[in-house]
Amino acid sequence: MQANETGGYIGKRLLRREDEALLRGRGSYVDDLAEPQNLLHLAFVMSPHAHALIKSIDTSAARSLPGVFAVYTGEDLAPLMKPIHTEILFPGYQAADRNALAYGKVRFVGEQVAVVLAEDRYIAQDAIDLIEVEYEVLPAAVDMEEARKPGAPLVHDHIERNIIFEGKFETPEFEREFAAGEHRIRERFRTGRVAGVPMEPRGCLALPEHSDAIVFHTSTQIQHLVREGLAHHLGRSEASIRVVVPDVGGGFGTKAQLYPEEVVAAALCFKLRRPIKWVQDRREELLTNIHARDHLYDLEVSFSSDGVIRGMQLELLTNAGAYSTYPFGCTLETTGGSRMILGPYRIRNYMYRSFSIATHTNPAGVYRGVAQPSCMMAMEGMLDRIGRYLGIDPAEVRRRNVVQASDMPWTTAVGVRFDTGSYQQCLDKALEAIGYDEFRRAQPRDRLVDGKYRGVGICNMTEFTGMGAPAWRSRGLKRMSGIDSAALRVEATGKVTVSISHAAAGQGHLTTFAQIVADYLGANIEDVRIIEGDTAVSPYGTNTFASRSAVTGGGAVIRASTKVADKIRRIAAHVLEASPQDIVVRDGYAHVAGVTDLRLSFREVAEIAYAMCDVSLPEGEDFGLEASEYYDPPVVTVANAAHVVAVTVDARDGRVTIDRHVVVHDCGRVINPMIVDGQIHGGAAQGIGEALMEEMVYDENGQLLNASLLDYLLPTAMDIPNFEISHIETPTIDGLGGFKGVGEGGLIGALPAVVNAVADALSGIGVNVNRVPMRPAYLRSLIRSAAAEGGAR
Amino acid sequence: MDDQRKLSLQVNGKRYERMAEPRMLLADFLRHKLGLKGTHIGCAHGVCGACTVQIDGRAARSCLHFAIDVQDCEITTVEGLAGDDALHPIQQAFHECHALQCGFCTPGFLMTIEEFLRDNPEPSEAQIRTALANNICRCTGYANIVQAVADAARRLREQPAAAADAGGCHAGQ
Repeated sequence: MQANETGGYIGKRLLRREDEALLRGRGSYVDDLAEPQNLLHLAFVMSPHAHALIKSIDTSAARSLPGVFAVYTGEDLAPLMKPIHTEILFPGYQAADRNALAYGKVRFVGEQVAVVLAEDRYIAQDAIDLIEVEYEVLPAAVDMEEARKPGAPLVHDHIERNIIFEGKFETPEFEREFAAGEHRIRERFRTGRVAGVPMEPRGCLALPEHSDAIVFHTSTQIQHLVREGLAHHLGRSEASIRVVVPDVGGGFGTKAQLYPEEVVAAALCFKLRRPIKWVQDRREELLTNIHARDHLYDLEVSFSSDGVIRGMQLELLTNAGAYSTYPFGCTLETTGGSRMILGPYRIRNYMYRSFSIATHTNPAGVYRGVAQPSCMMAMEGMLDRIGRYLGIDPAEVRRRNVVQASDMPWTTAVGVRFDTGSYQQCLDKALEAIGYDEFRRAQPRDRLVDGKYRGVGICNMTEFTGMGAPAWRSRGLKRMSGIDSAALRVEATGKVTVSISHAAAGQGHLTTFAQIVADYLGANIEDVRIIEGDTAVSPYGTNTFASRSAVTGGGAVIRASTKVADKIRRIAAHVLEASPQDIVVRDGYAHVAGVTDLRLSFREVAEIAYAMCDVSLPEGEDFGLEASEYYDPPVVTVANAAHVVAVTVDARDGRVTIDRHVVVHDCGRVINPMIVDGQIHGGAAQGIGEALMEEMVYDENGQLLNASLLDYLLPTAMDIPNFEISHIETPTIDGLGGFKGVGEGGLIGALPAVVNAVADALSGIGVNVNRVPMRPAYLRSLIRSAAAEGGAR
Repeated sequence: MDDQRKLSLQVNGKRYERMAEPRMLLADFLRHKLGLKGTHIGCAHGVCGACTVQIDGRAARSCLHFAIDVQDCEITTVEGLAGDDALHPIQQAFHECHALQCGFCTPGFLMTIEEFLRDNPEPSEAQIRTALANNICRCTGYANIVQAVADAARRLREQPAAAADAGGCHAGQ
């Protein structure tokens, strides 16, 4: 890890290697893969009821349709697969197993009850419509507060009051310290159920290989976890399943799950020894891909007259949906929301109780940010309320509570270590960039101009990234390793192949990992090729979600690069008759320090390593020029950022316009600023969508009312502003390379900042904004009720 | 369901004849009969714009047309945008402005933008954003796409000098 050898690729705005094929329409997403002649298309029959007994399934008409190969019900396939079971070693957790194809009972609208295999996708779809399922409809539990009341319909008979997980925590002096605060505020914050909605729906293509194996192409972020899940649930060896990830059209956590369709497709491929293809349509995507963020925070703070928080207590409810999803169960939002809410603030006395509640709705999973956007919305909303209560500017309230440089390293009340960060600096820089003080000075005058309320909102946030093995152990996720890996080989020609245990869905790994390799190996970047997303070529890993790759894969790549660079140094030293310490490896050459023309190229070194020339290897040195390394990063690598947003709210129709959106971000050492900014842009846009428009709406019977993109609104170019982004770089000192993750921060910061800006704009008329999405109808009703009250006074 | 007809379509300047059902969507015909898989299906109900192609030079959702209905039209897909060598100026601007991440929505955006810039060679940012509202991108937050369109407009105005352009995303910087 000799920094003096780095070739300066890290930190450069290098254009992406991925782009050209994608721009020419030559990407290869799962639906684009070549289809074998004897392919069978798989399609699913979905339940139209949230809770019902399956009385009978008549498949005869579908079976007799020309072109249909087979129809199977849940009962038919049950012998081929174990129910999907998510083991979590956490007190208070109860698994809610799911049959990949339901039988007996359905528990949410969209749950799959039968499948068709046909020669052609159109025919498969025709056959789906011919399958008659008779149901006996049962009462459903949809709203999570209702669902945990005694007497509510149970989603699973063994889970009392539908509490699938319950967590609790309290710091030792909590009660005394909480009681000591002079003031208290209690607020209820609610976030709407949303989803990742990647532009590419999910799909898979299972191909038989040899007599007993399959190659499983699937649109996923977690190839190793999918392989392990398939092997376990199908009773096969992992060696008989190769998972390959094609180009993936967006993931956002949505594709970081093992889904029942994957289990069914793989099972049928093993059973029939024929290629099986399934690609979902958008309705299936919205109905059955994991949802997230149906959260309720009852938060209470106790604080002094100077605005300093003395203690905080939380009751958190998250909606788990009907089953625990694999591999995260439905605990991650619940534990995350209650543990990450502390953000960058000095809250030493803290108590929470958190609940994950099963309901007759689509299962919840991990969507970008997991619970951080919602918990930071509650935390940051509370800081604003303290300010309004005491008449202290909200920025000042944050300054009085934020973790200072002198507090570092900081350990939160729940025991998470922050090694480095820039909490106050990012905040101050963002406030200055937006002209916060002038905005506040002008605000009494400008608050309502031309029928528009103006406000500014702050979110000063932390982002938990690159979680390692101890973090997953502490959260009880048994099947989650936490480590990642890299296998690096300098080929006989001197070119470099690096296989990493990740799988990108647009993050540009082929470019950024080449930058890291080029620097730490001392290679010419043009000679470095990155391969990912294939269990046959990379060692084991935990793959790509929760802002992991730069941290975990970065560390593994640094280790492998360093190890091979050391060998290059030893071989070169042997040939050049120097000491290995005196050899500098850079830009594809190994030369003697200070004598750049006394050098060997990678090719020359490789020819020695592969016994292709007369020069022999140094004594005791083995053949080859490669290393395979794992990296287990620190428990958590904490990134941070400040978002400050200025909005106008139309007094007439309640529409919100984002006038400015400033971000000052700190993800430690930046690998490629262009890609980092792109991550922030995309995340922030999703945060704005979640703040202003996105919501999956279930009615009281558990029908999803907006399962189309006409009705589930995604932000367009008309809704999203130009972001003003700058960076502070405080490299992590606990992990290799100095990198902190950046995948989720944009979303985590944007949502609370937009909420606070709208709340600020409307604070003059005495309304309380405490939920998202803040659609025009919601804000308009708040504005009208305030006007009516004002009129009555 | 054996209602196959011989369909004849003109795509990217070349005429193709294939057997297909009358109900086959243009998007599926392009993808599965012609192997032109750059046209992606994101929603199949006309909202997301990923499947946008051009029909007689006008951007259109290929998931909302039947292949049988456009036999007399000239269809252009993303594969028809550039030759084998240089990227089209809009593609080059996308590359240099980092206007794509996962790339799934990108072909649809390119086809929308190509028509837009033909009609609006010097667009304002507001015009660009209005035009882009035809298509949904979930990765980029649009900012870099807006820049890429402005940058592409400049490149196209400066053609044929565009070929000699040293590059760099200049719009808005």
